Amino acid sequence: MGVSKRDRVMQIVTCLGQLGLLWGIYFACNTLVTMTGLPIPANVLGIVVLFSCLCLGVIKMEQVGRVADFLLRHLVFFFIPVAVGLMEWGDVFYKFGLILLAAIVISSIAPFLVVGFLTLRLQRKP
Amino acid sequence: MADFLRQVCLIAVTLAAYLGIRRLYLRYNHPLLNVVALSAALVIGVLVACDIPYTAYAPAKDTMTIFLGPATVALAVPLYRYRHLLRRQAIAIIASVAAGSLLAMFAAGFVAKRGGLPRDVVVSILPKGVSIPFAVEIAHLYHGIPALSAAFVVATGTLGSLFGGWLLTRLGIGHPMARGLALGTVSHAQGTATALMEGEQQGAMAGLAMILAGIVTAGFAPLAVWLLGLG
Repeated sequence: MGVSKRDRVMQIVTCLGQLGLLWGIYFACNTLVTMTGLPIPANVLGIVVLFSCLCLGVIKMEQVGRVADFLLRHLVFFFIPVAVGLMEWGDVFYKFGLILLAAIVISSIAPFLVVGFLTLRLQRKP
Repeated sequence: MADFLRQVCLIAVTLAAYLGIRRLYLRYNHPLLNVVALSAALVIGVLVACDIPYTAYAPAKDTMTIFLGPATVALAVPLYRYRHLLRRQAIAIIASVAAGSLLAMFAAGFVAKRGGLPRDVVVSILPKGVSIPFAVEIAHLYHGIPALSAAFVVATGTLGSLFGGWLLTRLGIGHPMARGLALGTVSHAQGTATALMEGEQQGAMAGLAMILAGIVTAGFAPLAVWLLGLG
């Protein structure tokens, strides 16, 4: 006999609760940003809020950890439908394709180099 | 009813593409087996083959991305787990990310302008390295095209998560902190998601870099607009 039925149900309830907590934080931040017109994305504000709550001990790791790990493991999934949206912009990319590609590629490779090597250079050794 | 069924089918197609490619990625771990780029290409292929326009896919997209907000908020968890490292390496982190995101913005604007693109397209490409809400706001503020900015953001994210890890490996950068910071600075949340597939420390660093890059880019966008003569 493995996990009892009651434990299973409790696990599901816990996870839903954790999901609700994360969703509540996001929803509150989103409402605040919309209402005040703050120039900050709601999800960034949400990260700051949850991080502060964890540091202050208002929210405990056990109250979000499980669902957070699950969502982050599958974070890439959410960007698939977003990337599909690129098909809408085929015309612009077709018209200015080469220059746009050059602009995006150059402006990606250069900071990859700079951030990578600068971090290695500036980091404090143990 | 038919509409509802189509949504369910489109979500199933997206989910199947994700699970299939993720499985391949976990099995062969090849850098070109990029989960987002390949799955999106598969889905686009299906849409084109079935003659379904993007507008028909959009509602399915909205349903699937309901949890993107809360999932991004969850990044606070790895950040909290690595808080000691963040405090200890604060200077290296802030300096590298700031330099990287300024370079990303100026290089993109410079190449686009030199290439003779219209002014509003050049302005729209400036915030290509930050998450969409930041980018849309910046484009709006300096009279670019917000929707086009969002497209550049997605293109940068997809490209960066496709080649970023490979490039860093070729450059000999194996340090998890450096890899995470680079991926987050260049490719925002998409880079962060890719960094998370490498490891938790990479993911935490990328999440932090994404936030810092957004702030730096928003703060210095007026300077870029002025220096590139886009005012």
